[in-house]
Amino acid sequence: MRIALTILGIALCLFLIQGSARFGFSRLLSRYALATNSIPAADEALRLTPSDPEAHRSKATILNRLQASADAAHSLETATTLRFRDDYLWIELANTREELGDTDGALAALDQAVRWAPHYAHTHWQRGNLLLRMRRPQEAFSELRQAATANPSYIPSLVDLAWGISGGNIKTTEAALEVKDDVTRLALIRFLARKGRGREVVDQIRSLSSPLPADKQNEIAGLLFAGKAYREAFDLWRASNNIPSAQLLMNGGFEDPIAFNDNAFGWIIAADQKNRVAIDVSEKLRGARSLQITFDGPWAPGTSPLNQTIVVDYGKTYHLSFAVRTKDLVTGGPPILVVNDANNNQLLGQSENFPTVTTPWQTLNLNFTTLTTSEAVIIRLQRSNCDSSPCPIFGTLWLDEFHIEQTEPTTKR
Amino acid sequence: MNQKRRNGSRVIAVLLLFAIAQIGLQVGFAEPNTTTNPTALPQQFVARLTTRNNQPITVNGLSATTGASILTGATIETGADQSATVNLGPLGQLDIAPNTKLVLTYDEQGNVKAVIVYGCAILTAKKKTTGEVATEQGTAGKTDPAAGGVLDICFPQGATAPTVGQGAAASAGAGAGGGAPAGAAAAGGGGLFGLGTPATIAIFSGIGAAALTPLAFQDNPSGAIP
Repeated sequence: MRIALTILGIALCLFLIQGSARFGFSRLLSRYALATNSIPAADEALRLTPSDPEAHRSKATILNRLQASADAAHSLETATTLRFRDDYLWIELANTREELGDTDGALAALDQAVRWAPHYAHTHWQRGNLLLRMRRPQEAFSELRQAATANPSYIPSLVDLAWGISGGNIKTTEAALEVKDDVTRLALIRFLARKGRGREVVDQIRSLSSPLPADKQNEIAGLLFAGKAYREAFDLWRASNNIPSAQLLMNGGFEDPIAFNDNAFGWIIAADQKNRVAIDVSEKLRGARSLQITFDGPWAPGTSPLNQTIVVDYGKTYHLSFAVRTKDLVTGGPPILVVNDANNNQLLGQSENFPTVTTPWQTLNLNFTTLTTSEAVIIRLQRSNCDSSPCPIFGTLWLDEFHIEQTEPTTKR
Repeated sequence: MNQKRRNGSRVIAVLLLFAIAQIGLQVGFAEPNTTTNPTALPQQFVARLTTRNNQPITVNGLSATTGASILTGATIETGADQSATVNLGPLGQLDIAPNTKLVLTYDEQGNVKAVIVYGCAILTAKKKTTGEVATEQGTAGKTDPAAGGVLDICFPQGATAPTVGQGAAASAGAGAGGGAPAGAAAAGGGGLFGLGTPATIAIFSGIGAAALTPLAFQDNPSGAIP
């Protein structure tokens, strides 16, 4: 009796070992088949474990790669019968069926995917995308919104699709999104800001249920700035930083800290020029500080170590003045200040050459007229062209007391 | 008595009917506004994305995988080990090689255009479709709508002009070869059934591990609750 039980136990163990080995070897073959696109290996895996859905899935993947979508669909159909609760299998089947042009079959597969994973975003997202391609946009966006509700990381993609399908129409976009909360509206605001749609951004901000915090205002202002919607960016930035409405030029006396952010108003120092620029408390025309720039040789023409974007009115004339002092400034291409249109970079005006050698503080002036399309201008510190190359520059200059005013017509902003 | 009872029943029936009608009317008045969307969303042809090994690529700056919709004007970007195909249905298809950035536009009048910012792509235009590949400098090639055709374009970063029709995009990983497996070299010769030595070692390790595999086998990978 004991011997019989032992033999039975050993037989059972051998059976289990054989089964496990079969299963493991089949999986190994499937992996090998996937790694080498080998149909024979995939078939061998299937021969070992015909009821393993993973083996069918592997074969389908290879068939899809080999563009044999019909056979791939068949394999996936078998896999889904073996493991019908696997939403990913249903999604793969849907994708393969759609590849074959069987959109109804694809939709049926995605219905199953949604059925078995109803609370997950990816099933709704896939189904929504398919419905969109089936020219059923109302149902599509209903499904896509469900996906975004289940997983908010889908919201930016949802906004992008809504904007694209509406052809850039904000009303249609809003209808597709059915914005009901500030999270979605903020995503829409960010999207519009990146597109430089300033007016729409302002409207959407007004529609928020609670006021936008200062950090978010700054963020949106930065996006608007990058999207070249300067006026709205400036208004938002000014509101969040409590800047008086009449002030056009920021920190003209360099009394406040200087930002190193590219997408902001105020003075911007080029990243590669930071070690040449410093706030000087000993040399200044007025106030407590000035800006000191030290040159020790190279300065590529056309590059600018210092600039500021200023929002202006179109078709108006402005007067810009600033103070400059130099010490041992030696160069064949002296510094100048230029004013360019912020949108098309057209030169609107430039100062005379900065004095060289050593000079006390003196005020330089320039006038410029904005274009009929102008929204903002960029004032840049540049240098005049050199007659020779290379064209080094040595010495130190200080800048202070920048002022700008509209002169023609003299109406205040 | 019988007549009285019958009349009484009639009165009750009429009153009951009236009461039900009242309730129906009031419920009708109290019904909330229907939530149907007054703005109709436009129906249009939308292309479909397939990525190699379902790896995510970037569409309009956002992550996208197989099954994503590609609208006209989309900026598509692939990374070093990523390639993709945009199925344009009746218009054809666009195969995108790794390390490529392009802008795809199309319409229902049979026009498809891929503007390559950098990288390589193959545009296959079907008959009655005008396929065009271009760079930001201008058109690089066009297909004849009468015959359809294939445009293979490569415009690597830093290049002065694109290479068209020389099979460079196919070599760069665009097209049918996009699904070519990585690490296939590992399966050279030797070992059990020619699987290679590492694979053979893995088999014997796997046999032991496989015994436990069914325990970890899960029927629904997404589970019941996210």
